[in-house]
Order: sequence, then C-alpha cells, then structure tokens
Amino acid sequence: MNLALRDIRYHRFKFFSSVFGVGLLLMVVLAIGGIIRGVIYDSATIVTETGADLWVVEKDTLGPFVEVSRLPEDYYHAVEVIPGVAEASPLAVGMEHVVRPPRPTPLAKFMYQNAVVGTQTMVEPGWMAVPTEERFVVIGYKPGRLGGPPSLVAGRHIEADDYELVADVKTGFQVGERVRVGYHEYTVVGLTKNMVGFTADPVVYTTLKEAQAILFRPDPDLLRDRRRRAREPFAQADTTAPRLAGRVARTAEAASHDTHVINAIAVRLEPGASADDVAREIARGKRLEVYTGPRQVNIQLMGSNRLLVLQLSLFRVILVVIAGIVIGLIIYTFTLDKVKDIAVLKLLGTPGLRIYGMILQQAVLMGVLGTLLGGALEFAIEPFFPRRVEATYGDVAQMLAAMTVIAALSSLLAVRRAMTVDARSVLGS
Amino acid sequence: MEFAVEARGLRMAYGEGRARVEVLKGVDLAVRPGEVFAVMGPSGSGKTTLLNVLGLVTEPTAGRLVLGGQDIYGGRWRPNLQRLRREKLGFIFQFANLIPFLTARENVLLSLDLLGVTGRAAAERADELLQSLGVADRSHLLPEKLSGGERQRVAIARALANDPKLILADEPTASLDAERGLAVMQLLRRLADEHGTAVLVVTHDTRMLGEVTGVIRLVDGTVQADEARPVPLARADGEGGFSP
Repeated sequence: MNLALRDIRYHRFKFFSSVFGVGLLLMVVLAIGGIIRGVIYDSATIVTETGADLWVVEKDTLGPFVEVSRLPEDYYHAVEVIPGVAEASPLAVGMEHVVRPPRPTPLAKFMYQNAVVGTQTMVEPGWMAVPTEERFVVIGYKPGRLGGPPSLVAGRHIEADDYELVADVKTGFQVGERVRVGYHEYTVVGLTKNMVGFTADPVVYTTLKEAQAILFRPDPDLLRDRRRRAREPFAQADTTAPRLAGRVARTAEAASHDTHVINAIAVRLEPGASADDVAREIARGKRLEVYTGPRQVNIQLMGSNRLLVLQLSLFRVILVVIAGIVIGLIIYTFTLDKVKDIAVLKLLGTPGLRIYGMILQQAVLMGVLGTLLGGALEFAIEPFFPRRVEATYGDVAQMLAAMTVIAALSSLLAVRRAMTVDARSVLGS
Repeated sequence: MEFAVEARGLRMAYGEGRARVEVLKGVDLAVRPGEVFAVMGPSGSGKTTLLNVLGLVTEPTAGRLVLGGQDIYGGRWRPNLQRLRREKLGFIFQFANLIPFLTARENVLLSLDLLGVTGRAAAERADELLQSLGVADRSHLLPEKLSGGERQRVAIARALANDPKLILADEPTASLDAERGLAVMQLLRRLADEHGTAVLVVTHDTRMLGEVTGVIRLVDGTVQADEARPVPLARADGEGGFSP
C-alpha cells in the first residue's frame, strides 16, 4: 500500500496546487537555461552557419563581428592562392539601422516599460519611449561565394548588384518590401532565419559592393572635405600645370569615394588541410590575424557575452536552490499536518523507513511533476520571448535528475521532523 | 492457561535525581485471552504511562513484562518493539485516530500490510472484519465521511486485523454518547470472546463496567488489588453494578 500516493489522493488540491507553483518556478529556471543557450547560439550562429574554416581579419583585432577590422579588398586574392585554401571570400560587416514606424506589440511595449521602470531617473526624461530604430548587422558578400545566407525560408538569393537584400525574419521585413538603408532603397528579395549577430541583432545580406557603399561611403560633407584636402597641395596646379590639375582632381575624387575596404575574409579549407598550418601561412609576413571558427565563436561568446551568460547561470542556480527550498518547506508543512497520523502509524508499528519513504516520495514526486509541468510551460512560452530561447528535452531531463536529488535533500527537514514524532503522543491524550 | 499479558513489578520513573518522579511503582497484573479489563484511576495515577509501557512505546525502568508468552525485556537483546507492536498489539483510541487519507477498508488493510499480508488474503480478512463490525457498506469511505461510531468500529477492525494478543483501548467510548459507547463496549466484549483477545480499556465511564471481566484500579502508580492472583482479576467492588 503506497501511503504517499494515498495521501496525495486525499490532499490532491493542496498537493497539485503546490506542484503548479513549483512548476512555474521551474519554468523560469528552464527558460533561463534556454536563454543562456540562445545567447550561446546567437554568439555562434554567424560563424558556424557561414561555413568558414578560418576568419582572416586585421592584425590585433578580434574579428569582424566584435571589433573594427579593415583590410584592403584585394587581400582575398592573396589568401586564395595559399596551399590548402579552397575558397577565400571577402566580407564587409557592420551595424546599420532603419527608422521604422513603431510596430511593437502590446506585450513588447509592456516588457520594455517593465524592463526600464525604476531607472528613468538616471537619464534624461523621455528616454523611455519605445525605440523605433531597427538595428541590424549588414553582411556584404560576393554572391555564390562564402558568407551569404545559409538557407532561405522565403524568396530567393541575391544574384547580382541590384540593390537587393536578404534579411533575417527577425527584422520584420517582408519579401518585396522596400527599405532605405544608407543612401539607397533596397528591395527585400529573400528571408532567412536564425541569423543574428552576437548581440542578437538580425542580419541582412547584400552584395559586397552594396554593403561597402552602405557601410563605408562617406557623408557628402566629409566627401567634399576630403576632395578639398586632396587638392590643396596642388592649389597652384591649375595655372602652373593645367594638364596635371585634371589628373589631380580625378585622383582626389576617386580617393575620396573609395570604398574598396573589407572587414574580413572567410576561408574554406581544402579537405584534409590543417587549419593551423594554413592560418600560419596566411598570417606570415602580413598584418593579418587568423582565427579558426571555434576560436572566433569563443571570442564572441566569452569576450562579449561572457558576463551575461555567467550572470544568467548564477541566477539559474539561485532559482534551482530556491525551488529546492520551496519544495522542502511545502513538504515540511505537509508533514506538520500529518504529525498525529505519523504518531499513529508509528504506534501501529509502521517501520520508520516506510514513513520517511512516504515523505521522500512526495517530495520527489513534487519535484518531478513540477519539472515536467515547468518544461511544458517553458516550451509553450518560448515563442513569446524577443530573443532566441532554446530549451531542450535534454534540459528537462537534466532538471528532472537535479530536482530528484534536490527534492530528496529538501525532504530531509520534513523527515527529521517525522523522526521526532513520538508514538506516545496519541496515547492518553 | 497462559496469560495474554503479564506484568510483574513494573516501574516507570521520569527524570533524574531530585527531579525524578516515579509514576508506576511496581504494577502487577495479568490478563488472560478473552478477558476485558477496565483500567481506572484518578488523573495522574499512571494510566497513560501504564498504557505506554504495555503498548511497548515506553520501556519500564524496572519489572517484567510478558506479552503472548514472550518476555519482552528479559532477553539478551533489545527487542524490536516496532515489530512486536504490529504483531502482538492492537490499539483503539478515543477519537478512533484512523489515518484520514485512507478509506475505512484501507485503514484495516494497512495493519495487514504491515504484517506482510497483502492481496486477496488481506482483502478477505479486511472485508470479513468490517462485515462482522457492521461497517462493510461504509468501507469505501474516508474516515471524515463516517460517523463517530462507525469510525470507532473501523478502528476496532483495524486493531483486530493483526489478530493481536492484547488490545489497548484508550477511552474508546469517551467521544461517543452513552448508547453508542455501550455498543462499542459490547462489541469489544464480543470480539474478545470470539477472537480470544485480551482487552485493556482505559475508561472513566463506570456505566461500561457491565461489559468487563474486571477492573484494574490504579492509584498513585500502584494497582489496588486484593485477589490471590497477583493482579486484580474479577474484582467485585460494586462499582457500576459490576460483578465477576
């Protein structure tokens, strides 16, 4: 006869309402685990999905997505001929934004207001208005080469320089939508999914040339100033050397317009080629830094999101401990309610292990049911998170194992109380 | 005939030194199978302590206790009191003290389960007891759905389930009206006869004495007895019209 289950049957509302509470708590724990995994995936996705084995960037910089790195565009030709390199693709990478009509959902607005409440006194009034700028990562690549969107969920790939974009669905852009970026309007021709920068900003892809125009084309005022400065040393040329003056003007024009800059070269190795050997060869004699894919992911994750991940991890551990304490206290109060029954059971000669087993089983069952409920709820709410949340069945399984142990430990307090129950208390009272 | 329970010189004291209080001061008693004795006495006379000692939840500081032929504390090893309680004793309380989360039938089954009797044999035994106590049709109900009398009958069934040598009943009629209380006592009497179980009933209710074999009167930790048997058996002291 299982006393634990029969007690639960009798106190079903109390037990299952407690399970619900524990489940909600564990839902948060699992969601935080999913958020951590989301941050890790976000930190890695561009690097891993691009399919590059090596990332070549400017000397002493950390990579195109973390730090400003500028290279001459033609460098990729030099890289391409190094033995072991199957393909080298120049990439322009940078942050841009569009000003969009405000379209946040009521939930998003509420979450934003909730996130900033209590901090408004730190900055100027008005800053709490929900932002209307959409920030994203622009990646320029040569169509047909490394660096483009790995797969599309709608539309088509970019085929040539024609002011076209492929955007991540998180941008909110639709296929066919025209978007002003930089000095030009672009047409969204395709949508990709889960392509975000390590800050979770969605990615838009365009051709290398157009990305260079978006990212590196100088402001008109700056352009005029550059031209003037380029001509200045040759101010007398119009009179002293009229033929030279024309050349100077053209050179100055070209120099000030020049956008033949890239931020990185994505390299795919030939099968069997040693990444370390090729990396050494690429960097030899040039002011270049070469990172393997995993190293680049590590830089993005541990260099930029390290504290966020650690912070969330600590918070998750705290919540797990709290869940354990909550279960412990619930089971303890359950036990307090049963003190007299435990005394009767003891008097009837019920072995202690059976009584303590009843308490233990209830605690473990509460932990297990709470975890399963928490897991189900977490999967249900996952789509509503603004950033990627990736809880898995493995997380739930891990949590089950952890909560089984934690619930068992947390029941010790109640078991201890049950051990002190004196069978004599039911006689003569 | 062997006694169901026999106590010789039972002593029980609490505390040490000056704080030492002796509650039982050499209690002698012996009860045969099928006999029902009332344990009576003023408050503080040691009834509860005697019940605890006989119920094997308190070890006496001195004396000998033989239960179903087994000298409980006379052996070389400390006995497993828990096992002895579930094998040799039955308990009935003032408020029945059924386990609230078990149905009437499950309360009876629990006693059998603790003995390792399960399955069909246990079910048949439980049903038979509940039938004989007239609560078979209420056996599926939780204690809270039963009347006080029904609860007490289920408690008696539970106490009998393990076929005990001795049933200790602690004020089993106190929470019942006179009619139902008397019915319970008559039931105990009948069951003691039928099952050959010795019953010790702690009670203050002298109206119930018509159903008992004798009265053990405790005064200041000792049994007031005047019978040859070292314990008071059928003692005609006139209380409640009782006669042996």
